[in-house]
Amino acid sequence: MPMVTLEKIARLAQESRFDSLGPAVDVDPEKLSSLGEGTRYDVCASTHSPRNPNLPGICHSFSHDGRCVSLFKTLYTNYCSHQCNYCTNAANCSRRTATFSYTPQELVGITLSMYRANYIEGLFLSSGSGRNEDHIMERMLETARMLRQKHEFQGYIHLKVLPGASRSHIQEAMELADRVSINLEAASASHMSEMSSTKNYESDILQRQRYIRDLATSENLPAGQTTQLVVGASNECDEEIFKRVLYEYKEIGVRRVYYSAFSPQDGTPFQNNVPQPKWREVRLYQMDWLFRVYHLHPQEIWHAFDENGLLPNADPKMTIARELVDLPRRPEHCTLSRAAHGSRHRAQKRQENNCSQKETGHLPKG
Amino acid sequence: MRIPDDFLHYLSAHEDCSERLLFRAKDISAEELDVSIDAEAKRIRKMVRQVQTEVHRMEAFVRLRPLGPCVLYGYLKPRHRIGEIICDFFARRNPQTIVVLGNGHESWISFNYGGEILRKRGAKMAETLEQLKSSFNCSEEGRDVKDIWQAYYDSQYSPCHKSAKSSHKRMPRRDQKAAGLRMVQNKSIVTLDDF
Repeated sequence: MPMVTLEKIARLAQESRFDSLGPAVDVDPEKLSSLGEGTRYDVCASTHSPRNPNLPGICHSFSHDGRCVSLFKTLYTNYCSHQCNYCTNAANCSRRTATFSYTPQELVGITLSMYRANYIEGLFLSSGSGRNEDHIMERMLETARMLRQKHEFQGYIHLKVLPGASRSHIQEAMELADRVSINLEAASASHMSEMSSTKNYESDILQRQRYIRDLATSENLPAGQTTQLVVGASNECDEEIFKRVLYEYKEIGVRRVYYSAFSPQDGTPFQNNVPQPKWREVRLYQMDWLFRVYHLHPQEIWHAFDENGLLPNADPKMTIARELVDLPRRPEHCTLSRAAHGSRHRAQKRQENNCSQKETGHLPKG
Repeated sequence: MRIPDDFLHYLSAHEDCSERLLFRAKDISAEELDVSIDAEAKRIRKMVRQVQTEVHRMEAFVRLRPLGPCVLYGYLKPRHRIGEIICDFFARRNPQTIVVLGNGHESWISFNYGGEILRKRGAKMAETLEQLKSSFNCSEEGRDVKDIWQAYYDSQYSPCHKSAKSSHKRMPRRDQKAAGLRMVQNKSIVTLDDF
């Protein structure tokens, strides 16, 4: 073990002349907080990235709601020309707050200084569409480019793909980021038309997801693509969500789907809609885990839904087990063994898929 | 979580690890340790996990501040003997920067020089930092990003999801104290003397 004198270490450090201070950071706290609030409901459950060398996931902090805050999660700008009925940044929101926008230099400065101080593992960059979506996407890419190329940033980068992003922008994002994502928001095109008058479900969202799927290689995008849904904003049922989720996992190949229970925001057209309970989100995550991690067959999972196509506030695993025990063709011991062999089965599957412990370590308890 | 092959490294860092226990652990493989129901093996397994947990939490919770352009320093007072492991971790994360961790009794210095880690154990943190200050001839302590972090962190809170229980569970007080987080949170200005 090399033990040396402090003087020698100091001399070597001075020779390598690395600036631990990084670029100067001077940011308006109001801007930080407004653009930070814009991503409050975006979920990032893990910062693990299976690149070479492997980047482990570390949760540096937890907010008062127990959720991990390990990325600098922010909007590039909160100015948006889309008209989404649930969003406070939307053009049709009557209580829009002041609009702010970062520059790539500012974002790089904040990210680097918080990364060095060990507050964060990296950057999660989303944005409103601005006046010109292409321009905003370009600025977001410039931020990632500066971090990776100019500052040799080794941390985690998650970039949101804006609905109108071009194929070449998506390709560049995939080369720079560990993970990219584009939010589905709605379970189907008809629900999307209720939620937003400006976004086209097929061309703005699904088509971009397919671009990402088709452009993925073994070298780019180590942590893959993910997506997120707003649950209950347009009265969709859980069965519809499950159908969409199956499509996402099987056809698009997303690594994870995140669910965010709808909560009405003042000034938006949906302000008087009923807020969705937190447990709905939890039950959907449990359903998701039964499919993705425990590899239950979709036909088994259908048993978890009630006659209205909703998941009741009960553990879906138990509901399914009870339903299956009553089936005459299925002997009881089969169902029981499946319901009980959770952790061992999970560990085996994990080893097989070479999937990280971090990635699968957030099973919501129910 | 499986027991790692180099579990002796973690076991030897445990505050209650004796020479005798370490000697006996040398005969056990990681695979055996994973499944054994022998009382001593269970104890070893528990001790390894305790050290791993503290290592993981310290890597997550210790915050660093710049001292001039070449040094990052932070508070660390772990229960187990893991100062060096944590200091090396930060040296690897911040190449070509001297990383100093420590408290009122001891300090660790690591420096990643082209992939090789150079190490030094020091006395009191304040003394080590004074020495480095005079070596570099710098008086400025450098910018702290605490305010930027706080403004950002507060913006991430959504009241409808409030759950104090899960927040406390994931950030135990004991680990926050060991990483100096509570000290940093409770004082608006932390000076070198606080270390």
